[in-house]
Amino acid sequence: MKKTLLTGLLFSASMLALSAPAFAEELKVYISSQHQPQVWRQVLDKFEAANPGTKVTIETGGNTSEAQAQYLNTIMSAKDSSLDVLILDVIRPAQFAAAGWTSPFEGKDMSVYLPAYAEANTVDGKVVALPAFADSMFLYYRKDLLEKYGIEPPKTWDELKAAVKKINGGENNADLQGLSFQGKAIEGAVCTFLLPYWSQGKSLVQNGKLTFDKDAAVKSLKLWKSFVDEGISKKNIAEVATDDTRKEFQAGNVVFAVNWSYAWAQSQGKDSAVVGKVGVTRLPAMAGGDQATCLGGWEWGVSAYSKHQEEAKKLVEYLSSPESSKFMAINGSLLPTYPSLYQDAEVVKAAPWFADAKQVVETAKPRPVTPRYNEVSETIRTTVNAVLAGVMTPEDGATQIESRLKRILR
Amino acid sequence: MTTSTLTTTQRIEKEPPAWTRMLDLSDRALAVLLLAPAAILLSLIIVYPVARLAYTSFFSLSLTSGLPAEFVGLENYQLMIEDPVFWETTWNTVLITLITVPGALVVGMGLALLANLPFRTQWPVRLSLLIPWALPLSFAGLIFAWFFHSEYGVVNDVLNRFGIEGVIWFNSPDLAFAAICLTIIWKTSSFMALIILAGLQTIPRSLYEAADVDGAGRLRQFFEITLPLLKPAIVVALIFRTITALQTFDIPYMMTGGGPGTSTATLAMYIHQNTVSFLDLGYGSALAVVMFLLSMCVTVVYLRIIRTKE
Repeated sequence: MKKTLLTGLLFSASMLALSAPAFAEELKVYISSQHQPQVWRQVLDKFEAANPGTKVTIETGGNTSEAQAQYLNTIMSAKDSSLDVLILDVIRPAQFAAAGWTSPFEGKDMSVYLPAYAEANTVDGKVVALPAFADSMFLYYRKDLLEKYGIEPPKTWDELKAAVKKINGGENNADLQGLSFQGKAIEGAVCTFLLPYWSQGKSLVQNGKLTFDKDAAVKSLKLWKSFVDEGISKKNIAEVATDDTRKEFQAGNVVFAVNWSYAWAQSQGKDSAVVGKVGVTRLPAMAGGDQATCLGGWEWGVSAYSKHQEEAKKLVEYLSSPESSKFMAINGSLLPTYPSLYQDAEVVKAAPWFADAKQVVETAKPRPVTPRYNEVSETIRTTVNAVLAGVMTPEDGATQIESRLKRILR
Repeated sequence: MTTSTLTTTQRIEKEPPAWTRMLDLSDRALAVLLLAPAAILLSLIIVYPVARLAYTSFFSLSLTSGLPAEFVGLENYQLMIEDPVFWETTWNTVLITLITVPGALVVGMGLALLANLPFRTQWPVRLSLLIPWALPLSFAGLIFAWFFHSEYGVVNDVLNRFGIEGVIWFNSPDLAFAAICLTIIWKTSSFMALIILAGLQTIPRSLYEAADVDGAGRLRQFFEITLPLLKPAIVVALIFRTITALQTFDIPYMMTGGGPGTSTATLAMYIHQNTVSFLDLGYGSALAVVMFLLSMCVTVVYLRIIRTKE
């Protein structure tokens, strides 16, 4: 009798001790540090409020897409279960799906999103991730300077060169750079190469097969090199990464800049020298070509090794909802993944140029979709970097890209 | 008295300790038993991983392909021979070793001799010797990346003050390479200096006093006394430094990321890229096997040198 009582007491005590942590599901979300984790935190707070018993913590790290990919590659190839939800660059779902690193969302209706993102997140008929935010590259320009010299935003790269020469002639300011773009061997440099290449109506990969046009590649590399040689971009452009472009432009030292949408919010922030002087438009075209841009954006995936599959999927559904997309558009200047939000009054009030951005995102071209994207990217960005540093001629660069891509995509 | 001590010793030599008698172990079995922990530990942390690496290098194993590992024999090695980036990164690694090891030896020797001078307060010298050694490699790489930055760097600023126009260090393979080598020498010479300093302090002062009496100059003393007696310390320092030089990763990774293009990438960076970024574990393992063999060769050569000296 006494013994049973004691056992009963011990049993209930241990139940109490065990049940406390069992109530709260703890989810860990990986957000790269360049994606405003502090703003996403507010979205997570709302999720926590609506789902008592679930606690969400953020892990940050890696301020470039490559650094982040390296980190996630190590975590995922070790089958580590510590991360539940991951933010992924738009170029990664194919690789993650091939490696079996994300859990598919079965029966998810993707038609509510912009078509490009429905496509980017669907691999072999399976939805492998849900869109976090949309993006593409834009031409940022100094509205005040263009107005001062009576110049319209350029539609071609040649017009941009002429505009810079006119402004530089009048301003006579050695610190004012004509055009800032990404020449460092980072992910952004892949888009640097592709922008003028696509503008000539060429594609790089179709249905997994290389459709390389060497002539267009040489022209693309030559164009960027000419910006350096003609003094329109600074000589150390091979050192410039995406956020350097943002900082230079924000400091008022640049007339034109090629950048993603995130640069807008900070250019209108309190540390900016160009508040109210910034215009955003479509990237220029090659003479006789079309205006083309690079599709960006990031996605939310659920780790296949997460021990909280149900909760993690619920969280991703929320992060990828119209409500969250709108919140991030207003507070983080991240482009919405839902077509209707581009006309939303509150969104347009926060970022007026979003009203015209939908058309740009809709026509943006995706970078090659392949599980071996990291190798494709490395080939292109190191070559762009070598050409801009003057180590390699545009012709040799195009030859190198062609021979290496042939090996990767055979 | 003497006899009694002798008998005690004899008794101990004749009979093994009580506990081995209890286990009934022969000398051979005892030796095996005592060596076993070290042997098991070494197998687990060195032999197994290296064997596993060599094994993986014969497989086509890429996590991005979604395919299971497949035995391909020497295919990875053949790909390597045809791969220009492999040759470029290997050459860069050898060049870095050939430049920075002697460079660090000369600078380290100078620092050690300086630290060995009879200063009244020795801690500032010793501390400044220790700081570069204690600094993590990637920090050193980041710091020097800023030093050599073409716009904000202190190196170009100093050059400008002397009326020399600054250069874009990381835009040229040669200059970028020079910047990396300078950084590595700065970072590693203090390790050299520490070992040489320890060697210096074992040299008796009396030898120099005798040399003074015999009328040998400072330079003669250095070459006739200091250098020969330092040889063992120098060889040890060289072995460690050469092997770490062959594994150079952090400093070029932080400073140039291998750029411009792939002109300053090292073999270790290429291995990291293939395994961590490209997830091509088969090819990455084959590259790592080559690096392992390279380090083995160097170690064997140095060990031979030491043995012939003895």
